[in-house]
Amino acid sequence: MDTLILNLTTQTLKPSQAHLIKSPLFPRNSQIYRLCWKRSLSYAVTCKLKTSQENSKKKNLPNKIVVSEGAPSPSENSGTTENGGVPTKSQRNAAGGLGYLKRLPKRVLSVLSNLPLAIGEMFTISGLMALGTFIDQGEAPDFYFQKYPEDNPVLGFFTWRWVLTLGFDHMYSSPVFLGMLVLLAASLIACTYTTQIPLVKVARRWSFLHSAEAIRKQEFSDTLPRASVQDLGVVLMGAGYEFPLCVFVAATGSFRGSVTVPQGLNFIVGDVLGPSGFLSTPSEAFNTEVHVNRFYMDYYDSGEVRQFHTDLSLLDLNGKEVMRKTISVNDPLRYCGITIYQTDWSFSALQILKDDEGPFNLAMAPLKINGDKKLYGTFLPVGNADSPNIKGMYVSFITNYIISICVRNFPNWIVTVSSLSLSLSLSLSFSFWNYWRWN
Amino acid sequence: MIFSTLEHILTHISFSIVSIVITIHLITLLVDEIVRLYDSSEKGMIATFFCITGLLVTRWIYSGHFPLSDLYESLIFLSWSFSIIHIVPYLKKNKNHLSAITTPSVIFTQGFATSGLLTEMHQSAILVPALQSEWLIMHVSMMVLGYAALLCGSLLSVAFLVITFRKDIKMFFKSNHLLNESFSFGEIQYINKRSNVLRNTSCFSARNYYRSQLIQQLDHWSYRVISLGFIFLTIGILSGAVWANEAWGSYWNWDPKETWAFITWAIFAIYLHTRTNKNLQGANSAIMASIGFLIIWICYFGVNLLGIGLHSYGSFTLTSN
Repeated sequence: MDTLILNLTTQTLKPSQAHLIKSPLFPRNSQIYRLCWKRSLSYAVTCKLKTSQENSKKKNLPNKIVVSEGAPSPSENSGTTENGGVPTKSQRNAAGGLGYLKRLPKRVLSVLSNLPLAIGEMFTISGLMALGTFIDQGEAPDFYFQKYPEDNPVLGFFTWRWVLTLGFDHMYSSPVFLGMLVLLAASLIACTYTTQIPLVKVARRWSFLHSAEAIRKQEFSDTLPRASVQDLGVVLMGAGYEFPLCVFVAATGSFRGSVTVPQGLNFIVGDVLGPSGFLSTPSEAFNTEVHVNRFYMDYYDSGEVRQFHTDLSLLDLNGKEVMRKTISVNDPLRYCGITIYQTDWSFSALQILKDDEGPFNLAMAPLKINGDKKLYGTFLPVGNADSPNIKGMYVSFITNYIISICVRNFPNWIVTVSSLSLSLSLSLSFSFWNYWRWN
Repeated sequence: MIFSTLEHILTHISFSIVSIVITIHLITLLVDEIVRLYDSSEKGMIATFFCITGLLVTRWIYSGHFPLSDLYESLIFLSWSFSIIHIVPYLKKNKNHLSAITTPSVIFTQGFATSGLLTEMHQSAILVPALQSEWLIMHVSMMVLGYAALLCGSLLSVAFLVITFRKDIKMFFKSNHLLNESFSFGEIQYINKRSNVLRNTSCFSARNYYRSQLIQQLDHWSYRVISLGFIFLTIGILSGAVWANEAWGSYWNWDPKETWAFITWAIFAIYLHTRTNKNLQGANSAIMASIGFLIIWICYFGVNLLGIGLHSYGSFTLTSN
């Protein structure tokens, strides 16, 4: 225990000036005490002790001593620190295990409401989210074996083992990420309990002006015409503390999935949707069958796509139509908490007639996709299948209204397209929130 | 035809005015403050503001939709937001240091938007189906306004860091010299080195006084602008979530763009939290804001460069031919 001697010279204090006093007793170590001048005429002395080797084994305790007005004598000062320190130690020993248990919730609270901890949590969550955008999500394990091989690790250590053990292939529902979210939520709640609620309690003791007249009398008052309480709500939402919880619920209790269906075919909702969290439980609406009646596009005069439309029918178990709707982008189908929206489209097959021969069914494959300009190709073997030089035919499309058919090596063929089948990517999502709203 | 000519003229006028304003700023840096020149630069910024507004309005009338459908338009809108951030405090007769940040920002965004990199986009495109919603105006304008304010604030923080850091270096050189001077003076300089200077330091020498005042003001303004931008960003993300629920059936999809917007939000939330703590104030929070500066660019450009996810319509290909 080192004694602390402060040499206070209060008579030179002036408002808005910080004075520095260097203790003459410890000339070797640079010790600087800063003095803050306060309105209440009490002086806060902050000092950091860093004296000798043996003291440094203990913690370097930053002591904050609030000194009342007037220069206290050095002995008084050291006395307060000793008196303050000794009883707490003896209490701690006497209380024992039971007291520790009693204090546990409080200790947990104080740890959780610690600001640096919360900042660290937010940092970790941000980092994990960023990592989630770099690692492809929701692929099969084989994909990760190839992308992060063990013999050639990314950054020298990052292999597929990391990805699969920590669940980074589905980052946003992985235990690590959700655990961090829970921790952050706990921190927020602890902070609300320890800081915000006492603040509110203090604030409740303030006296408010209840009548509008009294407020208008104040110098600083101003009126806002046509303002409503909703505006205030928007402003208050700036705090946005409920956000992590919402994300958490959304991440744990929903289903998503996507399917590529050729026009005119059906699929069952439950086959497509996969759970995206551990709280996901299926509902009876998953037996619904979806039938794609038609898919078509609207165009501007310039030829650009204006809107995509899909005519969908929902059929129940008995095959009875329960709902029919033409969906478009920004106008999805909603039924019992299930939302069906379009994500993509492509050509799946082509039926052609060649010089009135045929029809030939050709499967098509995408060649290069650049936004909405789609290019598809197919291959038609011509001639003897055994001969080595098989002639090919390539068909390309820009969009579905510009169809250019180019048949290599047979420029004088007349090829007509008899039918073109489109397939459509639909994405489905199911959330309990929407389900409750529906019922 | 007449619209595109008008657009062309307005772009050029605004760009040249901003260049003139920057030149004036440089002149006022060299020559001591000339009130007339300063005033004219402010007027120039107002003129730029009106030019860009005119540009946006022309584009709106011409294309028939809110001019925020692609990268070029969003860049123009970004420079418009910078100029409005510049103008609002000016109209309130608040002389501040924002102009040193906003004017170069305007010229850089304008320059990038009109540069050869994005020539393909200058033709106003047709609104892609994904953006045909009433939420477009609300969501995208809030996001871009938020980006603009946060960029301004974080640049102010960078300036704060530069000045504090430079001060430290100078102090190091000075300290030898100062040994001759009064003992307490050296002590004060030592204290100043510690990060926590802003609150409690007061004037000891005039030079030091002005510098600490400048630092304090920079800190103050970056805090104010970032809190404003944070509110915009929050509204933008929330409206985006509502739009996502309407279009895709869930509030949050973990799309890369969404995720990065959330990371940006979290970083600036950390900044705002560090501001509340006395130990972390000052340089620490400024470092946080500077990280935020990088994150915003990743969110705004980086994700679009990849062109993945549900926000892929904002993607662009860099063609420099």
